Amino acid sequence: MNKFTLAAVAAVMAGAGSAQATNFEFWYGNTGPVETAIKAQCDAFNGSQSEHKVTCVGQGSYEVSMQKAIAAYRARNHPVLIQFFDAGTLDLMLSDAVEPIQDLMPEVKWDTYIAGARTYYETSTGKLFAQPYNASTLLFYTNKTELEKAGITETPTTWEGIIEAARKLKAAGHACPFVTDGDTWRVLEQFSARHGLPIATKHNGYDGLDAEYLVNTTFAAKHLANLVQWRKEGLVRLAADTKAGNYTAAFNAGECAMMEQSSGSYAAASKAFDGKYQLTVSMAPMYEGFQRHNTFVGGASIYVMKGHDKAEIEAAKAFLDFLRMPEQQMFFTANTGYVPVTTDVLDAIAKSDEANSPKYATAKLGVESMNQPGTPDTRGIRLGFYVQFREVFMEETQKAFSGQQTMQVALDNTKKRGDQLLRRFEQTYKGKKLP
Amino acid sequence: MKSESSLFGHRWLPLLFVAPLMLLIVLFFYVPVFQAFYWSFFLEQPFGGTSEFVGLQNFQRVLSDPEFWAATGRTVVFMLTASSLAVVVPLMLAIAADRKIGLSYTARNILVWPKGVAGASIGVVFAFIFNPFVGLMAPLNALFPGLWNPGIDGTDAFITLVGAHVWSGIPFNFVILLAGLRSIPHTMYQAAAMDGAGPWRRIIDVQLPLIMPHLFLTFVLEFTESITSVFALIDTITGGGPGGATTLLVYKIYVDGFRGFDLSGASTQTAILMVFVLLLAACQFFFLGRRINYER
Repeated sequence: MNKFTLAAVAAVMAGAGSAQATNFEFWYGNTGPVETAIKAQCDAFNGSQSEHKVTCVGQGSYEVSMQKAIAAYRARNHPVLIQFFDAGTLDLMLSDAVEPIQDLMPEVKWDTYIAGARTYYETSTGKLFAQPYNASTLLFYTNKTELEKAGITETPTTWEGIIEAARKLKAAGHACPFVTDGDTWRVLEQFSARHGLPIATKHNGYDGLDAEYLVNTTFAAKHLANLVQWRKEGLVRLAADTKAGNYTAAFNAGECAMMEQSSGSYAAASKAFDGKYQLTVSMAPMYEGFQRHNTFVGGASIYVMKGHDKAEIEAAKAFLDFLRMPEQQMFFTANTGYVPVTTDVLDAIAKSDEANSPKYATAKLGVESMNQPGTPDTRGIRLGFYVQFREVFMEETQKAFSGQQTMQVALDNTKKRGDQLLRRFEQTYKGKKLP
Repeated sequence: MKSESSLFGHRWLPLLFVAPLMLLIVLFFYVPVFQAFYWSFFLEQPFGGTSEFVGLQNFQRVLSDPEFWAATGRTVVFMLTASSLAVVVPLMLAIAADRKIGLSYTARNILVWPKGVAGASIGVVFAFIFNPFVGLMAPLNALFPGLWNPGIDGTDAFITLVGAHVWSGIPFNFVILLAGLRSIPHTMYQAAAMDGAGPWRRIIDVQLPLIMPHLFLTFVLEFTESITSVFALIDTITGGGPGGATTLLVYKIYVDGFRGFDLSGASTQTAILMVFVLLLAACQFFFLGRRINYER
């Protein structure tokens, strides 16, 4: 029984007497170890004071949580706090259903948030709209043991290096040198950001709802075409090509030697490798000749929903303050592999006696990756119906991987269908301005 | 008649008794249907706020969208292949189980069991059965690498889906068709046999014509059901992929509406799908239903 559970038990016993406590709800979408950590934080908050009581409700996924929030909001029965993921940022910004966090809590020192995390959730006037919660970014993982077996001693840092290593691995009889799932977030968004490429005009939509997609014309198109070619050569594998059927599982089981994956995967990979293989993790690879820019912050943030009374808002604020505390962020990082995104937490980790512990390994690396120099195109993505765009991208590129069309045709189609989504979004929110 | 009216002395009393049920149907069926039709004429923001009346613009857009037609085409192909197989396979099983052969009594019981398995569970099991590395096709894949992979090849994924649907449709259709076969008087077979008809001749000329009402029922239910009930299978086996190869209309509506928060687009497609299903059922009754002789 950990101290959080103990704290929770204490809270229940203490709370029995305090009838005036303000109850409020927080909806989240994670499952597994992350959910366990979220629940522990909720229990710890309720145990730390008796004035407020948070009820944390797991909805099973970000999408389901959002669906229910939409229905609940229309029925005026919505929670005070809701966690939502990166791709829905614009939907929530224009929804008129949430209170911008920095307006609500102007006294907080929001500038401790690192730039890469701020810009994604920031308004045009530089105010944070939501409080970043579980942040992650893209990293590059290798199975050092397998690489060394094929005679590769240096961990590659460029795509050219990865392909050279993949050729060696293949020559040594390795069936799966590099694995990806071709997910939009990994192969398009994070790739474009760190190479300084735009995804859409108007700086990815930050300057207006009339943006248009550029995915078929930037260097990302070349990279995606390369992936198709490399897959044909047996150097790159997709999730469905692996025995495990899931690319993270394929890497963790030692079936594949290299992968690009979220920092949140570190804990599981190091646990699976323990005693069998050596793991390296570094910043996601670049093409030679490109300057490295920041990667986007992934994961999710917490929004305050409108339409609640003052007491509930105050209680929610107290909970948000609690979650921002360095010790809480450190607890969350250590238990989930998500990255802390405030500088004070990084300092606290550096000063702690566990600074070099593997549980904080991705924190430093992830922050370093998000703190690379940015451009107006690497602030984030502010495009409407973006969740649907991700589906379109996956659908069209999968057709390219299976050989039904070339990658260029796939990306031309993606742009065309994506622009239609943007135009309809623009019409749906006619007369609204980006905050 | 007299006993009925004395039981329900008041003319409003019977209505009062069905009122709760009617209320539920109105609340959970007619209201959402109305809502979907209503939203299909608007551009609706997910969280409410202002919604703009756009007339038939949503329909224009959806009907000129090649993706919509691709999903509709896949729905029709699925309906024709999966529904036909989902009636023909149970029909063969029912005819076999109806004959006095060993284990036919046991088979009649066992074949009903899948009815108790939820669509989502069937999906999970079939995803495993058709897994290219550990499933049924794994030995074939070992001989011809790359022959079967539903995660990459759209046709393979579609076949997996049809297989799962047919399997899940067996119990219900089997029960209906077997009941039909059992109700045919034995004297008919005996008379046919006396006249020199072999087993095949008896199936074609005696059994099939006499179970036409049952066959018609299963076909109507299958055709209309397959369009909507396939959702759980798609969601668990393929997720609509690869490359949208298994994105049937019902799944596209879910993805657009619930994952993409495009309420108007999803509502418009729902309205179109609903009209399509109604027309389909009407056609079946109009063209086929009238030719079926329910008298024995």
